[in-house]
Amino acid sequence: MTTKHKISLSVNGVRYEREVEARLTLADFLRHELNLSGTHVGCEHGICGVCNVLIDGASARSCLTFAVQADGADITTVEGLRNRQTGQLHPIQSAFIEAHGLQCGFCTPGFMMTTLELLKENPNPSEEEIKEALGGNLCRCTGYQSIMESVKLAATKLREQQGA
Amino acid sequence: MKSASFEYRTPATLSEAVTLLETFENDGVDVKILAGGQSLIPMLALRVARPEVLIDLRKLKELDYIREDQGMIAIGTMTSKHAAAVSALIEAKQPLFHAATQLVGHRQIRNRGSVGGSFAHADPASEYPAVALALGMEMKVVGPQGERLIPAAEFFVTYMTTSMETNEILAEVRMPLLPAGSGWSIKEEARRNGDLALAGVCVTLKKVGGVCAEVKIAAFGVNPTAVRLTAAEDALKGQAPTAENFARAAAAGAAALNEPMSCIHASSEYRRQLVKTLTERCLIEANTRAA
Amino acid sequence: MSIPTLPEQLPTSAIRYIGKEVKRVEDPSLVTGETEFIDNVKLPNMLHAAILRSPHPHARIVSINIKAAEQLAGVHAVLTGDDVKAWSNPGTTAPEGWGNYCMAVGKVRFVGEPVVAVAAESRYLAEDALELIEVEYDVLPPVPTPAVAMADGAPVVFEERGSNIILKKDFVWGEVDRLFAEADHVIGDSFRWNRCGANPTETFGCICTWDVVNHELTCRGAYQAPRFFALGRATGLNLLPNKVKLISHPQGGGFGGKGGPRGTDIAALLSRKANGRPVKYIEDRMEYLLAGGGQSWDRYYDAELAVKADGTVTGFRVKLIDDQGAGCEGYGTISVAKPIAAFTGPYRIEAASYDTTIVATNRAPTYPYRGYGPPPHFFVLESLMDMAARKLGMDPAELRRKNYIRPEQFPYTIPSGNEYDSGNYAAVLDKLLDMSNYKKLREEQAAARAAGRLVGIGVVSTVEPGVFDWNVYSAVGVPGVGVPEGARVAIDVFGGITVIVGFALQGQGQYTVATQVAADYFGVDMGMVKVSMASTDVAPPHFGPGGSRLGVAITGAVLGACEKLRDIFTQVVAGLMQTTPDQIELMDGRFRLKAMPEAGMALAEVAGTMLFRSDLLPPGIEPCPEATSVWTAPNRNMPDDQGRCRSYLTAANAAHVAMVEIDRQTGRTNILKYFLVDDCGTRLNPANVEGQIQGGVAQGVGAALFEEYVYNDECQPLVSTFVDYLMPTIHEVPMTEKGAVCTPSPFAPLGAKGCGEGAIHTTPATLMCAINDALAPLDLKIHETPASPHRLWKLLQQVK
Repeated sequence: MTTKHKISLSVNGVRYEREVEARLTLADFLRHELNLSGTHVGCEHGICGVCNVLIDGASARSCLTFAVQADGADITTVEGLRNRQTGQLHPIQSAFIEAHGLQCGFCTPGFMMTTLELLKENPNPSEEEIKEALGGNLCRCTGYQSIMESVKLAATKLREQQGA
Repeated sequence: MKSASFEYRTPATLSEAVTLLETFENDGVDVKILAGGQSLIPMLALRVARPEVLIDLRKLKELDYIREDQGMIAIGTMTSKHAAAVSALIEAKQPLFHAATQLVGHRQIRNRGSVGGSFAHADPASEYPAVALALGMEMKVVGPQGERLIPAAEFFVTYMTTSMETNEILAEVRMPLLPAGSGWSIKEEARRNGDLALAGVCVTLKKVGGVCAEVKIAAFGVNPTAVRLTAAEDALKGQAPTAENFARAAAAGAAALNEPMSCIHASSEYRRQLVKTLTERCLIEANTRAA
Repeated sequence: MSIPTLPEQLPTSAIRYIGKEVKRVEDPSLVTGETEFIDNVKLPNMLHAAILRSPHPHARIVSINIKAAEQLAGVHAVLTGDDVKAWSNPGTTAPEGWGNYCMAVGKVRFVGEPVVAVAAESRYLAEDALELIEVEYDVLPPVPTPAVAMADGAPVVFEERGSNIILKKDFVWGEVDRLFAEADHVIGDSFRWNRCGANPTETFGCICTWDVVNHELTCRGAYQAPRFFALGRATGLNLLPNKVKLISHPQGGGFGGKGGPRGTDIAALLSRKANGRPVKYIEDRMEYLLAGGGQSWDRYYDAELAVKADGTVTGFRVKLIDDQGAGCEGYGTISVAKPIAAFTGPYRIEAASYDTTIVATNRAPTYPYRGYGPPPHFFVLESLMDMAARKLGMDPAELRRKNYIRPEQFPYTIPSGNEYDSGNYAAVLDKLLDMSNYKKLREEQAAARAAGRLVGIGVVSTVEPGVFDWNVYSAVGVPGVGVPEGARVAIDVFGGITVIVGFALQGQGQYTVATQVAADYFGVDMGMVKVSMASTDVAPPHFGPGGSRLGVAITGAVLGACEKLRDIFTQVVAGLMQTTPDQIELMDGRFRLKAMPEAGMALAEVAGTMLFRSDLLPPGIEPCPEATSVWTAPNRNMPDDQGRCRSYLTAANAAHVAMVEIDRQTGRTNILKYFLVDDCGTRLNPANVEGQIQGGVAQGVGAALFEEYVYNDECQPLVSTFVDYLMPTIHEVPMTEKGAVCTPSPFAPLGAKGCGEGAIHTTPATLMCAINDALAPLDLKIHETPASPHRLWKLLQQVK
């Protein structure tokens, strides 16, 4: 009989309480316990970044975090980007579509989470700063050029939004 | 790749953690400390590590600090690497440690990864142990018997092994401030940006009267622990900071290395060469920063 | 019925979508995380599979003890080789007879081969159960390389075959010997391409449900070529094809190397053993790297060019030894055949020969990977061209230009039999040299060399074959001609258009292409078009993505269906307007009287009439505003005894220039600049095309500089995680400057050429040529991939 641990956390502003095994990763918890399957799994050893989420605002690999470690935390996932009330896409999502920053889309949620953190801290990043921020996200389809353009476009959109 | 089962504890204080650890140790239970988990969790996922119990230190806010303390910088081991990377205090007063922190992996690893983890884990490819040797850092460990300070030179024993007792917890790492006028540099060669270093070198350099007075050089990624290149340091004592002298010292340091490790990306000889090249380049860069 | 060969031929006064960089219809679901990749799916009563894999490359299985595993709470089925032998057959392969059962039966032949499988209530539990299984092995001497495999007295990987030589075939096209004898120069060398492979960010996954009552199978999963795959499951699992239903889910990339046959069969048989409960198998990354679809192109080349003093290249000889690994289950052998479709690249080389030996070893079986063979082949050809240029003191760009097939020579049949449809190679090269300021690059290089820096420039030109056909794969025993791709187009009473296809998303944007084509054909907004995927039981004949065909093929199928609909609707409208069909035309979505265009009917009206006013329909017209069309490349043929045939329909062309610098001390290569020009005819969606190109560049960078599956002398794989299999990140892939030339295909729908595989044909050769150009002043060369820092450093030690 494996011990279960009670955890209480919020994901995209919604509170959840569950009982989980200690070894359940945050990635598996989000995807299979909460059915928030927009966060994907690509390697399960912390290298590809496909599973990136924000934990208390900081980007992190959800495959290298146990759900029990996230007790009390505020998690942001891709499902939290779109405005639930208005249905509007987040500027980062719109930017990725407009700049063709995705092909199969499997790595895209991870990239967008990393981008969310980057642009919060640095609203006008240089190409070098974008590369530095995105270096931990692998993409096999795009060759990164359109992702670079998407992040730049997202930065512009967000600055315009702030300015407005 | 799912971890095997383990029991999980989250002590609220350091002393509770120490007591918990001691109890499990005395009972012969296979127990490991969980800090950021960025090195440990992949090992669990691959099932190459299978502790029966994980003691998670995440509640120990008392170990989350960066402060200046008696002419040293003291960092609580549960401080995140990212906090260390953006600390104005560290950037200003110990830029070598600041630069080393920025070389660690990617932002996500630094967000979750603890400062203390790289010391306790003692991966030979890691930057911190080498920096610890070059700076003469001290590690404060806490156990049932109380706390003690272990100098870096005694802390790193061999591959993934420190001199900590199994019932001790690393609580703080302490580093001297970079002396005024000292230069510093850290460089590594990795296959890709952010990868574990195939080889790396860090340097502090102080000149007196226009010649090298105090030079500390440490290499990582090449031997089972980080290692001081004393042959290179000795070759520079009292020498002018010229490219030729730097090259000669680098060659001496590399030549004196114990047989470097070999892997599919780098042979032993190639690692030795990298140490030579990186030492030279570090010395040149440190020299430009030195008064 | 004829399919338009240029966008201008569509029944629209202004093209709104085709050829434009429209936003993709796939994207909103992808960026919101809503797209249903297979691991998102939960079925009631579902179990999870984990697989125990062989730790040995070559061993007999002495005994297996699964008792403890079976008794672990939460475990519901354990599958062994005995079950698999009773319930299935070894996979069909090319060539025939070199397949394996989905799990090892009696013997293991590579590290990672499945030996026992468990279905449990969670993947976590299933992996716990694996640890309770005891397998006793009798280790056999391994066969780690072709050299060992072909030596006298070598251990035999497939004992029933009696030899480790899977296939030995020698092709001779033209008077090769004479041309080499008459050559002024023979330029030759050996080349080694080490294993690399697809590695999509999503590994393979499936959910299989065995209907134990009706003896039928349903598989949901990340399937690239659904119907083809379903056929393989049917023959493997002793089911009739119409009792196997595959529901393909959107995939997180595929690149040919998704894998999945073993995983599917294992999950299916676990479901059978678990009394029909659905079983989900999600391959993890380690499984993918060791034993999934991720290993390709393990090659040893000896090759040479026959060159005249004036630089004309007259002959090309290639000897290839291909390490196929432990069996042909992945159709990796096709990568030996595909180069035949573009064997001599863009050059007028008169004659060629291809001496191929495909060998079985105890490495993992190889699978397809984007490019499917030509990337290593062009690395060889282009390296030899550069060697010839160096020998003759000619600029490498000019040597290529001199040898190009000329525009007026198209369609051009190359010595190995394929016909290139069109091309203007000199125009592409000119644009590239201009865009890259090639002259200035050479000046920069000269200055850098004077300063002692190792700076190199590679100028490479390739043909990127598109729209594959099976016929050229006959070289490795694949039968057949023609690759059908079907689409059904339906118009509803609101004027909405549904396009039904047989494949799911994989990233190349073909749903968007299908939407663009249907929308422009019928003059509707893209938002009125919906593309739906049909499972294999109800889909029209199809293959899906692969071989740079789908953009072209689905365009052909959709246009064909649209043309049929136009025909039917014209008859209906003619009947309703009491005139003859030749008086009615379709323009901008209306069927109108040619003589009086204001008089006409909209799509919705016609569809509504057909479905709700059968009394008004002309005789012989069915109440069916839908049509199906199945496209295959026209004019294909059976190969002759030398494998010659018209295979790949289109020949795109690309020329790349890269400037690199090698750090003398560390051996690291930095890519300083990268330019490319691509000619793939009509670009149905230019943004898609550029995305495919840049993605191909990234994979090419990986292959040339980073990616390698390493095995030691005991055939143990030393690369099993992403720590050691080095996928390029944003730091390693250059942001390239791209140019386009458009020489439409005279044969393909809308003049488009296949372009999906694109730059991976060209980038590895470009980077390797640039590196060798950097090393040339030192009289050094590297003809092994990847050109890792360690390899280059070792080479540079020779100069001291």
